[in-house]
Amino acid sequence: MKKAYDIVIIGGGITGCALGFELAKRGRKDILIIEKEYLTSGATGRCGAGIRQQWGTVLNATLARDSTYLFENLEEYTGYKGDCGLNQGGYLIVAYTEAEWTQFQKNLELQHGLNIPVQKLDPQGAKEIVPHLNTEGLYGATFCPTDGHADPFHCTFAYAKGAERLGVEIATYTEVTGLRTAGDKIIGVETTKGYVQAGTVINASGYNASAITKMVGMEVPVYPERHQILITEPVNHIQDPMVISFHYHFYCQQTPHGSFIMGIGDPTEPVSYNIQSSWKFMEDCATQVTHSLPILKNIRVVRQWGGLYDMSPDANPVIDEMKGASGLYTVAGFSGHGFMVAPKTAIIIAQQLTGEKPDIDLHLFSANRYETGELLLEPSVV
Amino acid sequence: MLINTGIPTKEDLAKVDPSAERLAQGPVAIVECFQEIPCNPCVDACKRNAINIEGDINGLPIVDFEKCNGCGVCIAHCPGLAIFVIDKTYSESHAVVRLPYEFVPLPEKGQLACALNRAGEELGNFEVVRVISGGAKNKTTTIWLAVPQDLAMEVRSIKAPNSAPNIQNSAPGLQSSPTDTLICRCEDITLDEIRRVIADGYRTIDEIKRVTRAGMGPCQGRTCRQLIAQELSRHFGIPMEEVLMSTFRPPVKPVKLGSFVKGGDL
Repeated sequence: MKKAYDIVIIGGGITGCALGFELAKRGRKDILIIEKEYLTSGATGRCGAGIRQQWGTVLNATLARDSTYLFENLEEYTGYKGDCGLNQGGYLIVAYTEAEWTQFQKNLELQHGLNIPVQKLDPQGAKEIVPHLNTEGLYGATFCPTDGHADPFHCTFAYAKGAERLGVEIATYTEVTGLRTAGDKIIGVETTKGYVQAGTVINASGYNASAITKMVGMEVPVYPERHQILITEPVNHIQDPMVISFHYHFYCQQTPHGSFIMGIGDPTEPVSYNIQSSWKFMEDCATQVTHSLPILKNIRVVRQWGGLYDMSPDANPVIDEMKGASGLYTVAGFSGHGFMVAPKTAIIIAQQLTGEKPDIDLHLFSANRYETGELLLEPSVV
Repeated sequence: MLINTGIPTKEDLAKVDPSAERLAQGPVAIVECFQEIPCNPCVDACKRNAINIEGDINGLPIVDFEKCNGCGVCIAHCPGLAIFVIDKTYSESHAVVRLPYEFVPLPEKGQLACALNRAGEELGNFEVVRVISGGAKNKTTTIWLAVPQDLAMEVRSIKAPNSAPNIQNSAPGLQSSPTDTLICRCEDITLDEIRRVIADGYRTIDEIKRVTRAGMGPCQGRTCRQLIAQELSRHFGIPMEEVLMSTFRPPVKPVKLGSFVKGGDL
């Protein structure tokens, strides 16, 4: 680590690493990424790694669509030697209530307007795509064949290695302990490895985002919420798409490797940094998934784990410069869908910071929307 | 600490050793088993019912030294190679240590073998007085080694005779290189791949797991975790106990998804 950098990015997940890469690609020099543990050790490395374009707001659908295009060529785009593990088996989103089905049809119109190839399916049509799906109580489903999932580790490493090749420094096992300001301007970052001066600081620390802004006495409404996942032994390939239900809060996919990965949200989960695995999750997840996909009851679970969503009140991120600490930007609060929108989001933020005209207007993610009440409520989250 | 070093302390051994009087009476079994794991072949192996486990199957074995006649059947039945028979009545100057051995080539009767203590340190070369095969179904051989009386409670293994180069001559199939040494058997990850990612800057077991999948298979890293820790220890020159362990996650063994269903059958 040097004594001074032009830009310091806090957080070595997919968002921080993609930002480092995109900024360096636009010619910015003297960039440092600070990571408390190792790259992907936070939410990125614990996520379900789904990539879905079927969103209910134009902004999220556009970000996810353009990010999907980037995931399709991420190795070439970043010059990565490994395999980012993209598998476009589609997302089958199943509707179990009439209200849900009505919303899906609204979403479909919005998605078609953005050229996202989503199909509307009756229960029989859904069963043709996932033959072992239990269609009891099903109103219908929507299916986008270019949705899928990728390897969150390799995608992050691809951005990190690409960034390093462009001169970005990455300090792992380094924790931010304070921020320094002069007047209302950010001037540097205190870390466990010493102080570094910084012209611009980007807070991409996910569920720690509010702890970081508190260092300069500012609040962002981003808080940690545990979500859990389990994975099974690998078996023969039987399921192409991710099957997901917002009503029952579950999702389930089969990886190219053969393992099934699944999770279920718990609406009663409190705000907490707890990432312990719980028996309740295992029971809820097994009960729901084996009801919807009965064939999976004989597959063995090998591992379960917990991670933290960086939740915001409207399940959408805060992407904004902090009023009262100019030069400090927060890019956090992705509420469980940060991985799938990171590639395009990083480009737009890099465009803003380098004076280019941004491809997409992100003002709907401003921090003051929580004060004005102009929330960006996303109907399609699990 | 045994759990960190793998070497029992004097206090650990005091709990399992027979008295000096019993040792003076003739051969007797010593079970140097200190880990509470679900394992009990020693109990079934003893025809005299001299070995018992307290409580459930996770308990530690206890030898009734009065019932034990030192026959040594239990030695080859212990999967952990933790049972020894000591005969201090062999001769005035020497005692016999009967120990389990699972390497090839085997030493032969009359040869000298280099004796090792519990920490693997060499204690000198002593005569092999008998070699007993475990039989077709049990590949554990019992070696009888005549050692000076004062080393009877120290010697617990022998070094492979004629060390490494000759092993290759005698058993060509045992030669190995980093490219065909498997570290993670569930995911087919070789030593070579582990060394490559360490050279590439990945510094902990968790990072290596994420980049290679080593430890993500059905056994969840039971074998490879330690082997990767050894490689990291060697590469960075740090002791094993300072290598950061990865998280141990439930369930401990693969369990059918259907078993977790509310109100379902196990």
